[in-house]
Amino acid sequence: MSQVEMEIVISRTGQVTVEIQGAKGPRCLKYAELVRELVGREQQRQLTREYYEPDTDVRIDTEVRDQHGQ
Amino acid sequence: MSAVVVLTPIVIATWPALSAAVAGAAASMHLAVRAENLHEREETPEQVEVNVAETEIVGAALARDQKIVLERDGVTLEVGRDERGRCTVCASSHGHSKRELEAIAEEVSGRVVQQFIYNKLMTELKSRDYEVVDQERLADESVRVSVRLQ
Repeated sequence: MSQVEMEIVISRTGQVTVEIQGAKGPRCLKYAELVRELVGREQQRQLTREYYEPDTDVRIDTEVRDQHGQ
Repeated sequence: MSAVVVLTPIVIATWPALSAAVAGAAASMHLAVRAENLHEREETPEQVEVNVAETEIVGAALARDQKIVLERDGVTLEVGRDERGRCTVCASSHGHSKRELEAIAEEVSGRVVQQFIYNKLMTELKSRDYEVVDQERLADESVRVSVRLQ
């Protein structure tokens, strides 16, 4: 599993910028949402190419059935 | 990096939580905390009051005239709350213009919010067992915190 890190910068006026590294897709925004709940209102969001890359930590279960559904 | 999110703070705090933030802000700005509370403002030629943006001080324990008084270089700053529950910073001095006092009050106001958000985030991150791997105060007085999530 890849290492996920978050960098939080709190400006001298209290504005907060959160950068998520190492998490892809919706999992990434789950961490940003945690900080948003604590801080206040989302003002701006920028998703980078890494966000849209497939999340290799996602497990997909498949099941093969024969013609009789067994 | 996969996402960057910018957040505007909303401060809903009890008086003790806000007091802790004021004390932290005062320390970072080298402001002295005056021991006694002021019940009446001293008469000074210049006085400016600013509201700390998007704040609400909650809890019944706070007396209406309760304040924290800070001082530096002849400027007195009173941090308190107005009748609507908003946090206020009042700057007064004998030797500064209104514009200078307003800038000082705005600076203190921002630092109180910064410290409040920092305290809240650190408490919450520790309670979730996230590891703070690095933190520093930057040249522009921002605070940077790096957290390992997994």
